[in-house]
Amino acid sequence: MSELLTTVAILFIIAGPFLLLADRFDLPAVPLLILSGIFAGTVFIQQDDLLVELAQYGIALLVFAFGVGIQLDAIRTVLADSEIAALGQILVIGSLGTAFGVALGVPLAEASVLGVAAALSSTMVGTALVRTEIRMNLVRGRLSESLHFVQDLFAIAVVLIVGAGVIAADPIATQLGYGVVLLAAAVAVNRYLFGLLGRLADGSDELMIVGVVSLLVVFIGVAELAGVSIVVGAFAAGIAVRHDRGEHLGLFTGLESIKDFFLAIFFVTVGALVAVPFLETGPAASVEKLLLATGLIVLVVLIKPAVTIAILMYKGYEARTATLTAITTDQVSEFSLIIAIEAFLIGILTQSVFDAIIFAAAVTMVISSLTQRHDEAIYRLLSSRGLVSTRHDKIDELSNVPDDITDHVVIVGYGRTGSHLVETCKTLEKPYVVIENDPTRREAVRVECDAYVFGDAMEEYTWEKAGVERADIVISTTPSDPVSWRLLAFEFEADLILRSPTQQTALELLEAGATYVVVSDLLAGEQLLRRIEALLEGESTAEQLRDERLEELDRRSVTENR
Amino acid sequence: MVTDPALTVDLAIILLSAAALGFVARQTGQPTIIAYLVAGVVIGPVVFGIVEVTELTETLSELGLAFLLFLLGIKMRIGEIKHIISPIVKISIPQMAAVAAVGFGVSYVLLDGSITQALLIGLAVMYSSTAVVIKMLTDKGEATDLHGKIDVGILLVQDIVVVILLAILAAGQPESVAEVATTLAIVLTLVTIITVIALASSRYALPTVFRQIADNETIFFLVAIAWAFLFIFVSQEIDLFLSPFGIEAYLSIEMGAFLAGVAIAQLPYSKQLQDRVNPLTDLFVMVFFASVALDIRAHELTYYWREAIIAAVVLMIAKFIIFFVLINWQGFDLETNFLGSLYMIQVSEFGIVVGVAAQQGGFIEVEVLGFLTLVAMLTMAISVYLIAFADRLFDRLEGPLSRFEPEEPFAEDGKDYAGHVVAVGYDDVTRNVLPLFSEYYDDVVVVDRRVDHIEALEANGFDAVYGDIGSETIRKDVALKKADFVLSSSDQLEVSKAILREVRDDATVFLEASTDEGARELYDRGADYVITSADLSADRLGSYLEAYLEGRPELDRAITSDVELLRNPDPFPNTHERMTGDLDD
Repeated sequence: MSELLTTVAILFIIAGPFLLLADRFDLPAVPLLILSGIFAGTVFIQQDDLLVELAQYGIALLVFAFGVGIQLDAIRTVLADSEIAALGQILVIGSLGTAFGVALGVPLAEASVLGVAAALSSTMVGTALVRTEIRMNLVRGRLSESLHFVQDLFAIAVVLIVGAGVIAADPIATQLGYGVVLLAAAVAVNRYLFGLLGRLADGSDELMIVGVVSLLVVFIGVAELAGVSIVVGAFAAGIAVRHDRGEHLGLFTGLESIKDFFLAIFFVTVGALVAVPFLETGPAASVEKLLLATGLIVLVVLIKPAVTIAILMYKGYEARTATLTAITTDQVSEFSLIIAIEAFLIGILTQSVFDAIIFAAAVTMVISSLTQRHDEAIYRLLSSRGLVSTRHDKIDELSNVPDDITDHVVIVGYGRTGSHLVETCKTLEKPYVVIENDPTRREAVRVECDAYVFGDAMEEYTWEKAGVERADIVISTTPSDPVSWRLLAFEFEADLILRSPTQQTALELLEAGATYVVVSDLLAGEQLLRRIEALLEGESTAEQLRDERLEELDRRSVTENR
Repeated sequence: MVTDPALTVDLAIILLSAAALGFVARQTGQPTIIAYLVAGVVIGPVVFGIVEVTELTETLSELGLAFLLFLLGIKMRIGEIKHIISPIVKISIPQMAAVAAVGFGVSYVLLDGSITQALLIGLAVMYSSTAVVIKMLTDKGEATDLHGKIDVGILLVQDIVVVILLAILAAGQPESVAEVATTLAIVLTLVTIITVIALASSRYALPTVFRQIADNETIFFLVAIAWAFLFIFVSQEIDLFLSPFGIEAYLSIEMGAFLAGVAIAQLPYSKQLQDRVNPLTDLFVMVFFASVALDIRAHELTYYWREAIIAAVVLMIAKFIIFFVLINWQGFDLETNFLGSLYMIQVSEFGIVVGVAAQQGGFIEVEVLGFLTLVAMLTMAISVYLIAFADRLFDRLEGPLSRFEPEEPFAEDGKDYAGHVVAVGYDDVTRNVLPLFSEYYDDVVVVDRRVDHIEALEANGFDAVYGDIGSETIRKDVALKKADFVLSSSDQLEVSKAILREVRDDATVFLEASTDEGARELYDRGADYVITSADLSADRLGSYLEAYLEGRPELDRAITSDVELLRNPDPFPNTHERMTGDLDD
């Protein structure tokens, strides 16, 4: 058995219990992997060039997967939505981080890496925790996803510059030029070569995987030849194989496995590279290291969310959305780890700063999953202290509710369901008020609705504004449990209809006094049951069902386009 | 201190050439293994000599072998092959002895070497290729047919023998027969101990641990890998543990990996793991096959080329006859026998592995390893064609062979799905429909990713499979291709598309989509009915609001009945009789 294999074996054996801990306490795997690396590095594993090389494949695959996952239309929405918020946040926190480093006597080049580490947040940890919100298409889910996305793109650019600054004598502009050429090549490969690859593989997942990994290796090789960081090569390779997942499901799930394997090696290796203070370094260096790490943690956990809240609220998001979104950014990014390790390997970063960044990453990722779990409580705490709140005059300015409105319907959310309900009210000439908080829907609400409040349904003032004490019925179209519970807690006079994603919470909401709770899945189940029964008993045929539904789809798209 | 973050070129060249030849092989109907071996020949010293073995490629190929055995271990579910274990053991042991004897004879006559050498060649050629046979079986969709199961079973027995043989070879050149016997005894004892530990932990420790983490896919996968490495490490470093007691012993990485896999195989979550480990195995095994020839020079590979051709022909014929006689003796029907025998005529990649180990142990010359490699490559290539045309061959030969049809063929009691219902996801959408399905269909299989759901389903008498329908193993497992009715509540478009691509044309397919565009796309691809549950709640809320505003009494009734449904604690409510007619109609 080669020495390297022994090392990899030990590394996984040590990581195993840490992963079990992560699962037990519902923590993200990344920080625990880093911790297991720190442990392994202190006790067992010697520094090993080949191990670092394996870890580099982890980096490459991570960036590669990011490239594969990019959706071009998603970029377009993001550009319309939150790029200013993201860039502003990067700028402010980046400068603060750099200044902090310089203040502690770190040279400027190193301090700027520190700044980058403070500014970027982890997509893996941050958005993994808001998966549900993203799926439900809530404002904050979408917002934090796009914030992270812009940061990741920024990270790729930073890696390019870090590589350019040291590896080659070429000026940065040339490096960027190579990067652009590589990306263009990737787009061309994606358009012309990838389809061919798919046809040649002829349905074999194995060949697709081997082929795509070769493609990755080619791009990395070209990047190396051009003196650009392999990260950029890997990103370009990702762009090159971007494709409809459904068509090559085996390929993409396979790549996922390979990525997870090497990424685990990467995170543990990063941890193993850390020199533990007081154990492996002298007291003076240890104090410096801890000071740097603490400063970084404070920046990331406290100041970054604060700045993000300020920027988002300035952009017109109300206080709660801004706070909850900001809380998803309170950790160090895995891309910062890449930047740190690259900078460390080529000698820009000294051991102290490198260690501080890795420590801060592990700590903030753990903290982040905790703050995430209690985000509503944190918001309420901040809000009750008056630290964050949307000004009432701002809500007044954006809203339009007739003072004399009475016996009306209050509709929470102006998505598909909300607009459907508004149509119903219009047809029956019933007065209504729409409550919405998504800035991207503001225009639609303003044009299409007679009466509306632009504010958060969690806030009391929003309801006061909507004249809820004179309303007949309140219908919430958001399947978000915190919102539902909050509405129940207001104890409105009016009837209250809620939505819930699961039957279990629906029942609890009913017990707590809701008039009715809609569970989409249950409705779907019911409809399905009727269709299937008709089919099995021979009352209708599959073709009939198909035609019926297609007609319905056509009808709906006509109504929507009107 | 690390200074250069560059990645090695050698690995890149191996990957690229193997991929390129892999595609060529795919297009010409050759197994990919041949392509990888040839790629190694081309880039290695035999032809161009641009790549040498490095520590990284060596590690990856070792990992490849370890993962291949781990994967094999994960597939070894005792429950699924129990009923044919006895005939399989009765076939495989004499088969290996007989083929080894033929191999011994052929090589002793053809090659001028010692008896030990001929003996080792005999031991190396007695296995059939797991990679080729299993690949062809799954490609042809015959892995769960009777002849498929027999072949897989025999391959597993052969693999156990390989592992033991490798362990003996790892101990190096023995000085006397007594030493061989001691080694064998120590190895068998250690294998037994580790097997007992593996099986005991699979019964007592692993279920708790893996049940806890089964719902977290990444952690599950990584912990399983860690488990494999634990066994690999212990097997490899067993000397470290035993030397204080004055015992010198070696076990192979393969042995450890295999047993780690077997321990996991007995858990209900193992199917899912196969698909996660498979890609890594494919990738690393590729490096392994490509590296085989990296140590061989041209004259070593072709030194015995005439002998290799003769040996290949003799061995293929001998293997077929030996298998045919033995399977017939166990009373399997003619077609099963013919196919089962024909599929197994090649020499295994493990033959090369044994060869490599034997050469490293100093038992055989490197030219003989070249001979073994050539024989394996030749027999694999030829057998692939024979397997591809096996059905036509059988039609031709059925008449002449019909006198070998046993009077009472072995009856199989295993269950194969066909014309059944596959339900994907056990949730509020599908749950109510399941009892209805079981009124109309004999078999209803539910695929779900949550352990507690599987337990609830099984407790209620449904067939439940733990896993993700996105994974190929699971789709094969529930025989999606043969299903009559498929119902999926996954709103992931890619999963729905994968389902549509695989089902029979005349199967009824009900799917779910989150958007209208998604629904339309699924209809275009042949779905019979696509639910969009978000729209349903929009419609329902709309009609409730309408009723409410018009002060209609039906509203209260509808709400009461809906609420009653919500409150029903029965996980399998028989509500399809009640659920008719309300505001929607």
